[in-house]
Amino acid sequence: MQRYVARRVLHSLLAILAMSLIVFSLARVTGNPLDVMLPLEATPEDYARVSKHWGLDQPLATQYLIFLRKAVGGDFGYSWKWHGHSAMGLVMERLPATLKLAGFALLISVVLALPIGVLAAVMKGTVWDSAAKIIALLGQSLPAFWLGIVLMWVFAVHLGWFPTSGQGGLQHMILPAITLGWFQVAALMRLVRSSMLEVLDSEFVKLTRIKGLSEWKVVWKHCLRNAAIAPLTFFAIIAGVLMTGAVVTESVFSWPGTGLLVVDAVRARDFQVVQAVVIVFAGIFILTNLLVDILYAYLDPRIRYQ
Amino acid sequence: MRLRFVSFVIVGLAAGALALGTLPLAGVAQDAKTLKLVFASAGFDESNRFWVVSRPDHLQYDPFLETLLEVDPKSGEYTPRLAEKWSPSADYKQWTFHLRKGVQFHYGFGPLTAKDVVHSHSMMMRPEATATLAGFWRQVERVEAVNDQQVVFHFKRPTTVMPYAASRAGDLRIVSKAQWDKEGQEGYEKRPAGTGSYRYVGRQPGLSVSFERIDSHWNNEKPAFKELVFRIAREESTRLALILSGEAHIADLPRELQRDALKRGMKIYSSSFPVDWMTVYLGGQYYLPGDAAFKADVAWTKKPVRQALNMAINRQELLKTVFAGKGTMTYVTGWSEQSEGYNPEWKSRFDQMYGYNPGKAKELLKAAGYGPGQLKFKILAFTEPGESEGPQVAEALNIYYKDIGVETEIQVLDWAKVREMFRKKAIGCCIWPNIISWRPSEEWIRTSYYSKSPNHHYENEFIDKHYDTLTKTVNPQERQKIARTIGDHLFEEFADIPLFWFANEVVANPKVVGEWVYPGLAAGRSTHFHLVKPAK
Amino acid sequence: MATVTARSLPWYAPPRMALAVRQLRRYPLVPLAMLTFLLVIPAVLAPQVAPHDPLKGSLANRLKAPAWQEGGSLAYPLGTDKLGRDILSRMIHGARVSLVVSLVAIVVGGALGTAMGLISGYFGRWVDAVIMRLVDISLSLPTILLALVLVAAVGPSFATVIIVLVVLLWARYARLVRAETLSIKERDFIARARVAGASHARIMARYIFPNVVNSLVVLATLQVGYVILLESALSFLGAGLPRPTPAWGLMIADGRELIVTAWWVSMFPGLAIMLTVLALNLLGDWLRDHLDPKLRHV
Repeated sequence: MQRYVARRVLHSLLAILAMSLIVFSLARVTGNPLDVMLPLEATPEDYARVSKHWGLDQPLATQYLIFLRKAVGGDFGYSWKWHGHSAMGLVMERLPATLKLAGFALLISVVLALPIGVLAAVMKGTVWDSAAKIIALLGQSLPAFWLGIVLMWVFAVHLGWFPTSGQGGLQHMILPAITLGWFQVAALMRLVRSSMLEVLDSEFVKLTRIKGLSEWKVVWKHCLRNAAIAPLTFFAIIAGVLMTGAVVTESVFSWPGTGLLVVDAVRARDFQVVQAVVIVFAGIFILTNLLVDILYAYLDPRIRYQ
Repeated sequence: MRLRFVSFVIVGLAAGALALGTLPLAGVAQDAKTLKLVFASAGFDESNRFWVVSRPDHLQYDPFLETLLEVDPKSGEYTPRLAEKWSPSADYKQWTFHLRKGVQFHYGFGPLTAKDVVHSHSMMMRPEATATLAGFWRQVERVEAVNDQQVVFHFKRPTTVMPYAASRAGDLRIVSKAQWDKEGQEGYEKRPAGTGSYRYVGRQPGLSVSFERIDSHWNNEKPAFKELVFRIAREESTRLALILSGEAHIADLPRELQRDALKRGMKIYSSSFPVDWMTVYLGGQYYLPGDAAFKADVAWTKKPVRQALNMAINRQELLKTVFAGKGTMTYVTGWSEQSEGYNPEWKSRFDQMYGYNPGKAKELLKAAGYGPGQLKFKILAFTEPGESEGPQVAEALNIYYKDIGVETEIQVLDWAKVREMFRKKAIGCCIWPNIISWRPSEEWIRTSYYSKSPNHHYENEFIDKHYDTLTKTVNPQERQKIARTIGDHLFEEFADIPLFWFANEVVANPKVVGEWVYPGLAAGRSTHFHLVKPAK
Repeated sequence: MATVTARSLPWYAPPRMALAVRQLRRYPLVPLAMLTFLLVIPAVLAPQVAPHDPLKGSLANRLKAPAWQEGGSLAYPLGTDKLGRDILSRMIHGARVSLVVSLVAIVVGGALGTAMGLISGYFGRWVDAVIMRLVDISLSLPTILLALVLVAAVGPSFATVIIVLVVLLWARYARLVRAETLSIKERDFIARARVAGASHARIMARYIFPNVVNSLVVLATLQVGYVILLESALSFLGAGLPRPTPAWGLMIADGRELIVTAWWVSMFPGLAIMLTVLALNLLGDWLRDHLDPKLRHV
């Protein structure tokens, strides 16, 4: 078991390293940040001066090594757009907002998916099943930003039930969370449905043959273990999807999270912040995958020997 | 049983959703007596370091950080502010400012003295300074504090631009040396002290900046609204939603949405003066002899082609459709009626030389050797927050040029990419519309047409020579003549495709906002919030 | 309990119609019909079907309302956008654009992913480890961020959008094909082929691949919808197809600020995307249920 864990951890670290290289080169490929930072009046001397100040006059390889060395220590440099703020500091400042939104979105998708999934499973094959499927699929078919804008206009402007944007209390979170979460409803609903079906089937079959509690316990232990695997995969995937989906949603609702941060940073060619955000996102994603894999291995011993 | 319940719930929800569709539109939120004024802005570089931020982003400093001179909201003139008197030396190399007595910094950082001015200027000399006029401020050899109320700027070469740079239109914000000594950079980040009638309260990065009114201001400015908040919302529809729902009282909206806001009862508050202009620049015009970057096969290096490209555009229609009719004509790129060297003849001759005449345009092209379908080039478009019309203008140009047999391809890039291209003189392929803010003529000529500046929009020996003379001339009449000569030259040569001047227009809720006069020429465009009077 | 056999049931001879209908019921008619009208016909017959040139507009006709509204006319059934271009024509051509973009992206991404998956599953050991790490990295790349950064570098163009989509899509195919390959390669007929001297490439292409096609088809169908949504999200952020391409996503992005008064500019392309993706998802679901129940976890 330990060897499996060690192997997976090593792989994860490699993945993060590769990510950093990819991001670093991509960020630099987007072009010279000086063209964004400096005013139209800037002279070649100004370019040279500011370039030197930020270390941009060094060759790329040197820049990467410096970046790596500092990054290991947690220092991702200072932002070029939000002057005075450290890049990682900005990400950490905004991350809770995105996590809050993603968490709430997940909650909403669970709240929507659970009853629909249960209904579909219990009324399998009937028109309710198809209707449930269609409602869920509808969520997967809508462009998220379009949904967000429509929701904002209907509920915030026309009805005035919720504020249009920004962060404040619970009411500020609802519209963006629905926009973000609805997409997951279909997948989650399907999962709930199939798990319910399995449980129902085995329940009925075993029920007829129950002689004592022990068998019942076996059924539940068995069911739970198997049933747990599928949602775990789901949550791992969700982590990544919600975070990237947040980019679009945060743009529409001006939700001050990391998604909005990165869009602004890319536009301003603020490499430092872009690097920090991507590494953090990828890190979270890889970490979640790692945890899920380890849990898998714990639940299903066969996997450890692959 | 449980299933029935669940299905009833779902049906109930569906019915509720349908019912919502029949509800009428809620009226605009009524804010009877607000003490808080909220302005929804398209966004700016959020920082308390005024020396790294560009002029338009000084919006965030206008309420609480002041400048030596003021821009009068009605006349646009430079009037006393922190400085009571100012004068240049005979050779215009020294500028002396006499500071007002009794100006106090916020948060108890003491009175304003010449040392604060010296200190504020020194911030512009820091290596990371990327303010718009940082280049200008670096021309200062030294700043001398003669006594507590008198400060002298010693320049390396003569300059007449100093009043502009030291005014509310420029970017030299006066901050407290005492605060810097005591709290350092961190103090500036957390709670910078200024001298304005509002003082800085705090920021929520990505979301807002807040200010609050102070009790006694040295000029007895008493803003009507106790609190002032700048809300940042990148999306135009979000800003519209903010003002319609009553969460914001003033909003910076693109012209398209201004119409919608007007329909719902909002009013437009326009700046007293035109602030920005839009021109379509033609790349590759490097006419200095022996310039390797010059390529003769770029079509518009021939004057008739440039004229044709101008005459193909129906400016009146373009103004009406893309800009909702809100703008005035630009006759020579960069020159407004307030500019040094403005020539009223341009207005009277414009129609004949640049006016809409597709027939003549086609003839000119044919004579230059470009029959229908033979001229192809790219139109570069980009958008900046708050300036969304670039791509629309590009698409309109595409249609106008198609009408005269010119094929164009629109490429949407980001601004930095386009800038890199013209910096490197690699833009002969393309033309591009751009919106730029007003600056004094000498500054504009230097930025755009002087060959030693990085932008190279149109350069030749004639302009270089006259610019050199202009920088050495201090007599105002002489200067007018030289500036006019350069302007005339650009006019005759069809250097580019001038389009329109725009005032700064924001939309406000008439139930909250009464009168508001602001020049638009001050750094930040929407300024003078202390002059916003509440609705009756 | 007595067993029930076919013989003990009364015999009802079903009329021909009912039999035919029951046969048809086996196919996912609704999604297929939707797709034909929303995607296939417009995509293939765009120039014939569209009433106007999608790229030509006139500023005088801008923002006309749809035909049934006040100010609308039948000449522009769904209204015009802010440059006076007919929305219906742009939507029809947009179907073509969406289809081409997704097909190209999926074919290229799928081919790449399949090849990698086959190699990875077949050869195993370090090749497998390396490719799987690549897959992990690829799946952990923040989708939209990657696109933003890439397009900021190179500028929006058809090629860049395809590249971004391929980078994002190939990993899922690789993973799927690898899993299937792993289970297939232990089978007898593979061993027999190896004994008979077939080369690795031949085994992969002629023996393993055909058994993998089913799952590939399901995945591909499900992904077309996803790709269309992704492209529209990219356009919204300014990182999608270049103007003035009549792409649905770009049309929504263009009209988003007009959603109050000129709602038709965004609404109709939005509806088009929604219905098309819905149909594709329904089709994919049906395929998944009917072709191979094992694929529930695809």
